[in-house]
Amino acid sequence: MTELSRHLSILGLLALLCWGDVLADVVVVVDAKSGVERLSQEEVINIFLGRYRKLPTGITALPIDQPQAGGLRAEFYRKLADKDVSEINAYWARLYFSGKTRPPLQANSASEVLAHVLGNPGGVGYLERSQADARVRIVLSFSP
Amino acid sequence: MKTMRNRCLGVFIFLLGSSLCHAETGNTAPASDGFLLKGFGTFGVARSDSNSAEYVRDLSQPKGLTKSWSSKIDTLFGVQANLKLGAQSEGVVQLISRYRYDGSYRPEVSWAFLRHDFTPDFQVRIGRLGTEFYMLADSRLVGYSNLTVRPPPDFYGPLVFSYFDGFDTGWSTDLGAGLLRAKFYAGISPESSPFVSPITWNLNGSRLIGGHLDYFLGPWQLRIASADVKFNSELPIDALANLPLTTLVPETRVKNTHARFDSVGVVYDKGPLQVQGMLGRIRYDSVAYEDSRAGFVIASYRLGQFSPYLGYSKTRSSPGTFTTVGPFTGLAQTLASATHTNHHTITVGSRWDVYQNVALKIQFDAIRGKPDSAFTFRGDIVQWDGSMNVMSLALDFAF
Repeated sequence: MTELSRHLSILGLLALLCWGDVLADVVVVVDAKSGVERLSQEEVINIFLGRYRKLPTGITALPIDQPQAGGLRAEFYRKLADKDVSEINAYWARLYFSGKTRPPLQANSASEVLAHVLGNPGGVGYLERSQADARVRIVLSFSP
Repeated sequence: MKTMRNRCLGVFIFLLGSSLCHAETGNTAPASDGFLLKGFGTFGVARSDSNSAEYVRDLSQPKGLTKSWSSKIDTLFGVQANLKLGAQSEGVVQLISRYRYDGSYRPEVSWAFLRHDFTPDFQVRIGRLGTEFYMLADSRLVGYSNLTVRPPPDFYGPLVFSYFDGFDTGWSTDLGAGLLRAKFYAGISPESSPFVSPITWNLNGSRLIGGHLDYFLGPWQLRIASADVKFNSELPIDALANLPLTTLVPETRVKNTHARFDSVGVVYDKGPLQVQGMLGRIRYDSVAYEDSRAGFVIASYRLGQFSPYLGYSKTRSSPGTFTTVGPFTGLAQTLASATHTNHHTITVGSRWDVYQNVALKIQFDAIRGKPDSAFTFRGDIVQWDGSMNVMSLALDFAF
C-alpha cells in the first residue's frame, strides 16, 4: 500500500514536471517605444476581453491573439482569466452578436503578433518569453 | 411613420450591402477583418408534462410546449455582417429567423446600426439595436453564449421587446480598482406582440428609454438597470371581449401610460465557478397589468468540457385596485388577472462544449406554483394546476 502510494506520488511528480514543460512562459508585450511601462492583470483583462481598450498613455489599445493552434492562446487565457478556450469563444459570441466590441485581431503566426505590436502605436500582444526581443517591452508576466 | 422607418432601414441595409461589395479585402494587416459574416443558432427540442398551460421562452411566442416534443420555442438561426468603416466606426446588420409573435419564422432585422467610437471611453450606436432592459438580455437569443438552454422565463418572460429603432451611448472609466461603465439608450419599438391567439398587440411606436451602470472588479460584475416604456396603443382587450372595455373601464387603458423595469444583477465568474443572480421589478401605471417582482440565481461549476448548473427562479405579482364602479369592472379584473404570476422554478442541467463553437445542453425545469399563475404561460391556463415539468435538449453553435 505504501509502495503503491510512493509509486503514485512519483508518477504525479513526473506528470507535474512534464506539465510544467508543456506550459509556455507567456508574457504580454508592447512596442518598447510605446511609453507603456507596465500593465496590471486587470488592465490586460479589460483590453483582451474588450471591456476597456485604453492604454495608460491614453491611446486606444489594439490587442492581437496568437493563432488558435499551438496552445499559446489557450495558455494565455488560462493564466490571464482562468478560462478555457470554449469559455472565451462563448464570451465573444455574446459580445459579437450583441453588436459590442470585436474580439482581438487574430494573427496567423507568432511573427505576425510581433509585427502588429511593432507596427501599431496601441498594439498589445503576448509571446513566449523567449520570443520577446529588445524591440518589445514586457508589460506583464504571470507568476509561475 | 412605420413605412418611413422601414424605408430608412432598407436604405441603410442597402448602403451597407453596397459598401460591402467595395470593402477592401486585400488588407495586409493580420486578419484586419474589414468585413465579417458570422452566424449563430440553436436547434432545440423540448416538451412539458402539461397539455393545459403551455410553456414559452417569453411572451413574444404565441404558443408553447405541450406533452409532445417541439422545436419551436428554442430553435433559431441568425446571421450577422460586420463592416469596418475606418478605425473607429463599424456597421452591423443581423437577421434572425425564429418562432415569432404571428407564429411564422419570417426573418427579422434584429440589429442594424452604425457604431462610432469617439474615444476608447465613449461610443455611440445609431439604428436598430437589441434591448438590454436586463443584464444579458441583448444576447438572450445567442444560445451558444449562454450557460442554460434559455434565460429563465420567470425573469425574462414578460420581456416582449427584442429591439428598437434609436440610439445608445456607452461610456467607460476607471473607478477605484475596477471599471465603471454607463449606458443610455432611447428609441421607438417597431414590434408586435402576441396577445390571445390569434389577436396580436401592435407595440409599434411605443417609446423605450433606459440605461444602466456596470461595475467590474476582478471576478465581479454588478449592474443596476432601469428602463421605461411608454405604450403607444391600447391592449387589444376590446377585440378580445367584443366590448368597448377600454371605454367602459378607463383604467384598463395603457396607451400613453408607462411601464417601468428596474433590476439589479450580479455575476461572479472565477475559474470554473460561475454564479449569476438578478432581481427585478416591473411596475405599470395601468391596472390592466399586475406589478411583478422576479429573481433568479444560476450557479455552475466547469468540469473539463462539462458545465453542470443549478438554478432557481421565482416570480410573483400583485393585482392593482380598480376604482371604476360598474357592471364591467369584474370582466376587466378577470382580464387583468391573466397577468398574475406566483410560481417558482428549479432548473438542473448541463452544458457540454463538444467542439469548438458547438455546445450541447440538457435541462430539466420543475415549475411549482399556484394555478392562477398565468402570465408567463400560453394556452388553457384555466385547467392548469400550477405544476409543470419541462425537459429540454439544445444544440447551440456559432460560426
